[in-house]
Amino acid sequence: MKISDCIDAGTEYCPCSLAETGECIMCSQLQGKVFCDCTNWKGVCIYQEYIWNHSQRKENRQVYRCRISAKEAVSPAVTVFTIQVKRTLARELKEPGAYVFLRIPDYPTFFDLPMSIMSADERAGVIKIAVQERGVKTKYLLQREAGRREEQQREEVLLRGPYWNGILGLKYLKSFQKGKALVVVRGIGQAPALPVAKKLLQGGNEVEVLLDRGRIAVDFTGDLFRKMGCRVLEKQLLKREDLTITEETLAYLQDSLLNKGVGLIYGGGSDLLHQGLSRLIQEVERGAFFVCSNNAQLCCGEGICGSCQTRLADGSRVKRCKTQLAALNIYEGR
Amino acid sequence: MARVVIIGGGWAGCAAAITARKAGAEVVVLEKTDLLLGLGNVGGIMRNNGRFTAAEEIIALGAGELLAITDQVTRHKNINFPGHKHAFLYDVTKVEPLVRKKLAEMQVMVELETRAINVQKEGSWLKSIVLANGSAVEGDVFIETTGSTGPMGNCLRYGNGCSMCILRCPSYGPRVSISQRAGVEDLLGQRGDESYGAYSGSCKLAKNSLSKEIVEKLDREGVVIVPVPTEDVNVKKLAYKVCQQYALKEFAENIILLDTGYAKLMTSYYPLAKLREIPGFEFARYDDPYSGGKGNSIRYLSMAPRNNALKVEGLSNLLCAGEKAGLFVGHTEAIATGSLAGHNSVRLYLGMPLLELPRALALGDLIAFANEKIKTPEGLKNRYTFSGGQYFKQMIAQGLYTTDVETVKLRVERIGLTNIFAEKFL
Ligand SMILES: Cc1cc2nc3c(=O)[nH]c(=O)nc-3n(C[C@H](O)[C@H](O)[C@H](O)COP(=O)(O)OP(=O)(O)OC[C@H]3O[C@@H](n4cnc5c(N)ncnc54)[C@H](O)[C@@H]3O)c2cc1C
Ligand code: FES
Repeated sequence: MKISDCIDAGTEYCPCSLAETGECIMCSQLQGKVFCDCTNWKGVCIYQEYIWNHSQRKENRQVYRCRISAKEAVSPAVTVFTIQVKRTLARELKEPGAYVFLRIPDYPTFFDLPMSIMSADERAGVIKIAVQERGVKTKYLLQREAGRREEQQREEVLLRGPYWNGILGLKYLKSFQKGKALVVVRGIGQAPALPVAKKLLQGGNEVEVLLDRGRIAVDFTGDLFRKMGCRVLEKQLLKREDLTITEETLAYLQDSLLNKGVGLIYGGGSDLLHQGLSRLIQEVERGAFFVCSNNAQLCCGEGICGSCQTRLADGSRVKRCKTQLAALNIYEGR
Repeated sequence: MARVVIIGGGWAGCAAAITARKAGAEVVVLEKTDLLLGLGNVGGIMRNNGRFTAAEEIIALGAGELLAITDQVTRHKNINFPGHKHAFLYDVTKVEPLVRKKLAEMQVMVELETRAINVQKEGSWLKSIVLANGSAVEGDVFIETTGSTGPMGNCLRYGNGCSMCILRCPSYGPRVSISQRAGVEDLLGQRGDESYGAYSGSCKLAKNSLSKEIVEKLDREGVVIVPVPTEDVNVKKLAYKVCQQYALKEFAENIILLDTGYAKLMTSYYPLAKLREIPGFEFARYDDPYSGGKGNSIRYLSMAPRNNALKVEGLSNLLCAGEKAGLFVGHTEAIATGSLAGHNSVRLYLGMPLLELPRALALGDLIAFANEKIKTPEGLKNRYTFSGGQYFKQMIAQGLYTTDVETVKLRVERIGLTNIFAEKFL
């Protein structure tokens, strides 16, 4: 069944601008209808929250000016930022799937860059984020644009958040307990998988990590996974030629699902990796859950700009920055 | 074996469960709250005016189980209050466990705290009901008896907000219209001023918050009538009420209390501070809805179009009953329509013609009458009940109203339907 919840429903940011424009993801009354059709109840009546808030959205997320306390280049391609934030924000970012928008001060908002949280320490009030140099925005964030000298490095960053929809299938991840889970990660996808593994371990699960260095050619999380209590296997996940899953890995995954009782797979990599994983899970038909990173092109994170919009197999369109879907819904029929 | 899935465990759903079971089906009832009976946990008035005839018809047709229970826990028999004669008041604090026990004895499967949110269908056939937890309940025939109350958004848009009624949406989640989910658009009831929905017509005060004199009189006579201070009389509120049988001037000018275990106050809502100015009410407080000083639940925003055998139009295997099936008010009306829908579910499974009750019976006449009316703009502003308003007038005019039990039995016998609801097909 298709689940489509709004990640922000019932939070302090709900109702949002989408309610003001009749585009609410959850509430029929706030989609221009004149009656309730509340299939995805989250424990609060969004229409009621809206009316009680004088028919206005709640306050938007804030932008914080934060200090970067460390930058560690773990490879030529990847730098891990340590950023100081308020403790409350660090606590809100501890969830798997949490992300923020980052931008160097004085740059306009279209430099905003969505970045997943690798770890958050609410006591120290710090978060860590791994940044891979890719396009225009990451280069500016890493301050590698032409003409910038080392001594001009800014030690501050603008941070907008918290956001939570960095993972699809969160409800499976949060409810999976006392089972066996596989965390399959490649490249920069290693970073946001750390909170995922942590959540799975908290649920009393056995967690095995299949780790592929991928394009960034560095394993910067293996030790961290091991320290938490995961088993880590380095594996080549995708073939070089066409980026589909290698036969060896497929056989391993199949065996895990069929014979080792793996009940949940998390995919943290490219769409091609996720497609391969979702197809396999459906073929094996053992009812295993599929959870994966949300690879949509996020831009505003607020359901406003439309850059993340995706068409599903049933023809409906979803804004993936706010809509919490089962991962299989995204990859079915592709 | 036929598997009948009933969505909503109010009076209509419970009645449907009983007749479907008697006809030989395996029956599951899905109910979102932790209580069966829905609004039946806060009502209590039976057998007033034409409801007496209707109750006896239900018994003669072979579905008397639930009436036996309400009669058993009746606190007052044959009481009169303005516009109403020979009412019975069942104790709303006693009735639900007895119904639950009855269903268990009859091996009806009852799933409480189980909220239906969607359907899976193939063409015009429902295959299963999807629950809030994501699982699906399969069946051969489905009966929707989710009522028409709330949920919170409707109570806010058309009323004064959630008043915390017995359905407790904030705790158990909102009602969902299953027929609408299956692609059949709901009909919306209206008020005199053409806005949608209508307020529930009564609230309950905690009896022991009232003066000793009032409580004693309630216990003794079942009814207490206290005039409303003239400056507070609000005749307009009557037009907003669901229960048009109680939309009489006497109800605006008087506080009418009935003893149903609570002191049932026959008005939609009444500001607490005003109420406490009346002698004997100085300590008054509401037990249902908890915010009865502010508002009441909004109803009639989700009726399914259906035929007189109670099959929903446009779908092959969905029946409906109770408030879902029209602008019906009342326990008796819910039990009557529920019993017919339950019986017809097994006929539908077997491919037999569905039973339509003839208009020579009050039950058949009400079902057909309400269906004619709902198709007209004026008709959408009315409610239909054996106990008053437009339909009771029609009942008298047609010579259907009687309090003679033998006459009812004879009528049912003459058209060959005695104990039809007790017939076993499977
Ligand atoms: C305050 C008040 C007083 C009343 N007093 C009287 C009276 O004295 N006498 C009288 O005859 N009538 C009275 N009525 C009217 C009468 O109670 C109703 O017309 C009748 O009981 C309706 O029965 P029903 O089964 O159609 O609906 P309901 O009683 O509304 O039952 C519907 C059931 O479905 C459940 N449900 C809804 N959605 C879902 C879902 N998605 N999944 C699972 N379950 C769901 C609900 O929880 C509920 O239990 C009163 C009504 C009110 C509100
Ligand atoms: S990122 Fe802008 S709408 Fe989703």
